[in-house]
Amino acid sequence: MIMAHTYKDNALDPVTFEVLKNAFATSVDLMSEQILRTCYSFVIYSRDFSSALCDAEGNTVMQGSGDIAVHVGTLHFQCKAVLEEFAGDIYPGDVFAINDPYRGGTHLNDVSFIRPIFSEGQIIGFAQNKGHWADIGGSVPGSFDVNASTHFSEGLRITPVRVWREGVFLHDVAQLLVSNTRAPAQALGDLQAQAEATAVCEREVLRLVDKYSKATVVAAMQETQDYVERVVLKSLAGMPKGEWETVDYIDADPALGEGMVPIRIKLTLDGNGIHYDLSGSAPAVSTFLNSSYGTTHSAIYAGTKTFFPDVPLNSGFYRAVTANIGEEGSVVNAGWPHAVTGFCSGPYEKVMNGIFELWSGVMPKRAMACAFNLEYLLIGGNDGRTGSGDYFMWYDWMAGGWGGRQTKDGSSATSPVFGTGLAVQPVEGQERLNPVLTMCHEISMDSAGPGRFRGGCGVEKGGKLTQVDKTVMSYCCDRGRSVTWGVNGGLPSVPHGVWINKGAPDEKYLGATFSNVTVRSGDTFTRPSAGGGGFGDPLEREAEAVLEDVIDGYVSVERAECDYGVVIQVNDPDIDDYEINAERTAKAREWIRANRREWLQTPPEDVAKQYRDGELNVLDVIRRYGVVLDWGTGELLEKSTQQYRDSLAKRSSCYWT
Amino acid sequence: MSKLRVAVDAGGTFTDVCIYHEDTQQFRVTKVPSTPSNPKQAVIDGVRRGEIDLSDVELFFHGTTVATNALITRRFPKAALVTTKGFRDVIEIRDGTKDNLWDAYEDVSGPYIRRRDRFEVTERVDYAGEVVTPLDEEEARILARKLKRRGATTVAVCFINSYANAENEKRMREILEEEIPEASVSTSSDILPEIFEHDRFNTAVANTVLGPLVSDYVKQLDDELSAGGYDNDLLLLHSGGGSMTPAMAKHFPVRLAASGIAAGAIAAKHIAEQCGYQNAVGLDMGGTSTDISLIHDGELRVTKQWGVEYGHPIVFPSIEVLTVGAGGGSLAHIDIAGALRNGPQSAGADPGPACYERGGTEPTNTDANLALNRLGTVLAGGALELNREKATQVIEERVGQPLSLDTAEAAQAVIKVANANMADAVRLVSIRRGLDPRDFALIAFGGAGALHGAEVAKELGIPAVIVPPNPGVTSAMGCLLVDIQHDLSMMYTAAAESADLEDLERQFRSLEDEAVDRLRHEGVADADVVLQRGISMRYQGQWRSLQVAMGSGEASLEDAIEMFHQEHERQFSFRQNALPVEIYQLHLRAVGKTPRPEFPRSERQPGAQAEPHAHREVYFEGQWYQTPVYDRTTLPVGFEFSGPAIIDQLDSTTVVPPDTVASIDEWKNIRIQLIQSGEKA
Repeated sequence: MIMAHTYKDNALDPVTFEVLKNAFATSVDLMSEQILRTCYSFVIYSRDFSSALCDAEGNTVMQGSGDIAVHVGTLHFQCKAVLEEFAGDIYPGDVFAINDPYRGGTHLNDVSFIRPIFSEGQIIGFAQNKGHWADIGGSVPGSFDVNASTHFSEGLRITPVRVWREGVFLHDVAQLLVSNTRAPAQALGDLQAQAEATAVCEREVLRLVDKYSKATVVAAMQETQDYVERVVLKSLAGMPKGEWETVDYIDADPALGEGMVPIRIKLTLDGNGIHYDLSGSAPAVSTFLNSSYGTTHSAIYAGTKTFFPDVPLNSGFYRAVTANIGEEGSVVNAGWPHAVTGFCSGPYEKVMNGIFELWSGVMPKRAMACAFNLEYLLIGGNDGRTGSGDYFMWYDWMAGGWGGRQTKDGSSATSPVFGTGLAVQPVEGQERLNPVLTMCHEISMDSAGPGRFRGGCGVEKGGKLTQVDKTVMSYCCDRGRSVTWGVNGGLPSVPHGVWINKGAPDEKYLGATFSNVTVRSGDTFTRPSAGGGGFGDPLEREAEAVLEDVIDGYVSVERAECDYGVVIQVNDPDIDDYEINAERTAKAREWIRANRREWLQTPPEDVAKQYRDGELNVLDVIRRYGVVLDWGTGELLEKSTQQYRDSLAKRSSCYWT
Repeated sequence: MSKLRVAVDAGGTFTDVCIYHEDTQQFRVTKVPSTPSNPKQAVIDGVRRGEIDLSDVELFFHGTTVATNALITRRFPKAALVTTKGFRDVIEIRDGTKDNLWDAYEDVSGPYIRRRDRFEVTERVDYAGEVVTPLDEEEARILARKLKRRGATTVAVCFINSYANAENEKRMREILEEEIPEASVSTSSDILPEIFEHDRFNTAVANTVLGPLVSDYVKQLDDELSAGGYDNDLLLLHSGGGSMTPAMAKHFPVRLAASGIAAGAIAAKHIAEQCGYQNAVGLDMGGTSTDISLIHDGELRVTKQWGVEYGHPIVFPSIEVLTVGAGGGSLAHIDIAGALRNGPQSAGADPGPACYERGGTEPTNTDANLALNRLGTVLAGGALELNREKATQVIEERVGQPLSLDTAEAAQAVIKVANANMADAVRLVSIRRGLDPRDFALIAFGGAGALHGAEVAKELGIPAVIVPPNPGVTSAMGCLLVDIQHDLSMMYTAAAESADLEDLERQFRSLEDEAVDRLRHEGVADADVVLQRGISMRYQGQWRSLQVAMGSGEASLEDAIEMFHQEHERQFSFRQNALPVEIYQLHLRAVGKTPRPEFPRSERQPGAQAEPHAHREVYFEGQWYQTPVYDRTTLPVGFEFSGPAIIDQLDSTTVVPPDTVASIDEWKNIRIQLIQSGEKA
């Protein structure tokens, strides 16, 4: 049963190996403890950061146990970039910075600090901390320029650069970096804090060298990687072999007009590892919703890791999981100078969710439908509350619903899969710092994708600008059209998108990605985060479960009937007195079952017209008729509708009995 | 007649009773099984078993799991939350994060009040405390009547920004009290007047759902003790390391959550003090887990990031204790890739370690200790017999053979991994404060602490280990060492350099007035009141603040600012003199001193001797040593000896490894001094 040879093949005895492996994890987690307590950026404070110990070649030995998913599998690329640039010119006490997305970075906001660890005059490893700076320059506050087509308008690109030389702080270099951001003092604080954090890891590793010898520590760095590779390969032993394919979409490439942008993922299990092929994906889009090779690999690793939750992350994992991401120039392998800051809302979670779907087939006991897509709303301008009109930046992201699962409903109001440790900000903190009054931050009824196990619920958040001047709003999101999907017969949830002054005569739908829209004092705005997609046929959901959802206001009485075919009679809502009408429920379910395939064949233009005439609402259009519209004007999006119906056919209707 | 002080520490399985006789300065300890279905019963049983005449008792301390259990099981009375329109789900959305980042099937537990019992009302206050929308009184009254119909018996009122202006919350409470006089109503601004809605709401909600339950429990117990002749206040341990009277427990029941957790840490602090250490690590190792506490500059670390379950913060100061899954029953196993792992899975009490012969088939730390002969086969004075063959067999089969190690090597490997895991946990705890554990003493207690303590210390480079006289019941003793304590705080934001000192003084005074009022209410004499001011500050733009002590008088703020810079540099390695410092919160710790037990102290007798009652072969670092085994009760104060040695006692076994010297100090602690390799003779 156990392979005695596994450790015999290695140089270290099992105790030393286990102790050092755990000590590496501690040395990296210590970095995280440190940065969490010293950072200036509220984005870092909300846990948008990661830490790693890399070996002398730049391979990751251990990544932080609480790290944000999106950085997973990028830190070794950044470390190698520093090595490529500076090999032979690296000294004890040096610290390097890099954020270059074309050298394995994520996006410009994520700045890495890398410190070599020396023993006996030789580099034995690198300590690295990567954190999301609240601003890195560029044309919009927060550096999320949706309209950017190249990195030049996205902010400061930091190719590998030395910021400390042999312990001496190079203030001129640091000044150059932070002076290209909108909040230089804050950026300088983060720069210091991150560099200090890497020193904590260095100190720990040197302590280990003192105790166990350099040779032992270096050997353990290698064996820790080998170990992880072995864990993955052994885990695959009992699994089926074969190929699985899926496609997910980004809403659109504005340069090409209407029509969703496909990201194709193929998974191959051949007994020798886990292999992905993304080479069939679309060319890079004209906006910033592209991904460079670093982040695409990150999405692949993070998506896969979700099915191997206990495996530590390091380059051993990256050896067991390989990917062909195709030629440079695609939406998942956008090279220089394509804009990539929006990768997190663009390809990243499409790849992750696509991988969830593929593995759900391989490992049904961990199956899960699509989770809501990461979204960021940015409002920046002058704060009218202060006499001096200080610059403010309301930079907001939401929790949303995760997909329904094989044995239970999806998790409601949860951080995005892109980073499950990414905390949403307290409204009271935001209101002190910004002239924005939040009017609503609550779970939205009917936001969960219906299913035998429904998705988790999404959230609605909206507010009012109190006293602002020269202020603009930008939104980095997606899935306004490529709506969060269900699987195994489950249904999609709700489309994303921001409304301005909803309900007023001048209301306007701004969509799920836009940039630099001027807003004024007194304007209101609101947007949902989607719920998760449903798992399994909603007509098979227990009526009692639907009743409970109605009592809690997760599902309305109306949608209980339309989506689940469960008819609920309202007796006295004040005391939660509702009951299931069994007879009408049986009929409703029968009727839906008999007609639902046909509904999906309804001519889309008819559906669009009924929507425009107010006869159908968004959920009817999305869930019952499978049609995608411009949710503001009601204009039919024909090509997107075709793609969307293809997805529904494959993920939902083909499972219906 | 002897005057007594009694502490009853009710745990999940056992309730420990510690009795201190004031005239003889003797401690007695007894254990009874806990009675979760009727928790009061175990306390009464303990009093009876301890043969305590309640009329002899001067002070009665009690740590209870009533509040903790209610929170975990969600067994609450009919509760409701009334909140600002648009914010019904603050306690369900939380901050959105997951505890287990990668396991998509492991969710955070649900909120303390379900959505159906959360209601909104029209009102709004802004960040500056301005009323943007007045409370809609008609709507409020209709809602109050609805809650009455629903049978709500306890209601939390939690409005956005109420920390800045509590007016609307207070009015809502009045209306609820008018309409449902039988219900208890609390407001978030009253429970915790601090910024950040989820922290404040959830703390208030936890307080609300626990209210009726805890008050009932405390009242019944108090009545029963009074009826038995105890005529002082029952003193209830709270998570902040102090105690409170039933009157205060009624207002702040949530402070009783994790009531007992601080007891071990308090005991560790006491022992460190006794032995003259300002810095110490408490290692309280039990059957399934180890609680690690940290004492620095004579103080226990206090945290406000705390909760009974992940995602449900209780933002009252709490003694920080890190619990790691390493205990006597932790399972060793070889993982899928052939690596040796230890914990966090545990054999628990049932089936327990293989050597217990209750069906356990996996090797545990206890089995490994037994296989190495560190643990004897007869424990607890004969109450428990262990099967060493069973232990040896599972170690050999499950660890030795797969790794091609002989049994002793395998058992040692199991112990080493466990010790290294504990050492890593200590490192994490200490780095949180920027401290180096090598400057600390290690205090080892709990059922298994003394078995592992010296080797954990070695792993950490800690030179001194202290094993208290009764390691197995040290926590219960900690219960006798607490004062009455209240922790108050308020938001106060201002630039530190230009703060209005008079106003600051006024605000501190108002906190002090309230605190003194509470203590007087609890019958504390003014002479026993100690007030400690604290102030939280941060560099402008920073998200996290740092609390430092604050004196009174003109230079106090200046001093505090300097202390903030220093503390920042110590904890985070840098300071920024040029950046403006911001005041964020004011704190007050109000202590009502209770008399401390006097611990009997004996003079060290030079040349004190003791004889081992046996010798056995014990395995250390790759070889078997002929090792003396002592009965702890026979060791005189001043006795000095060198390792290896094993010391048996009723509630614990102490391992004194080779390359150490040990002695029995004047308090009957075993002091183990590690000889670093360089110093070896």
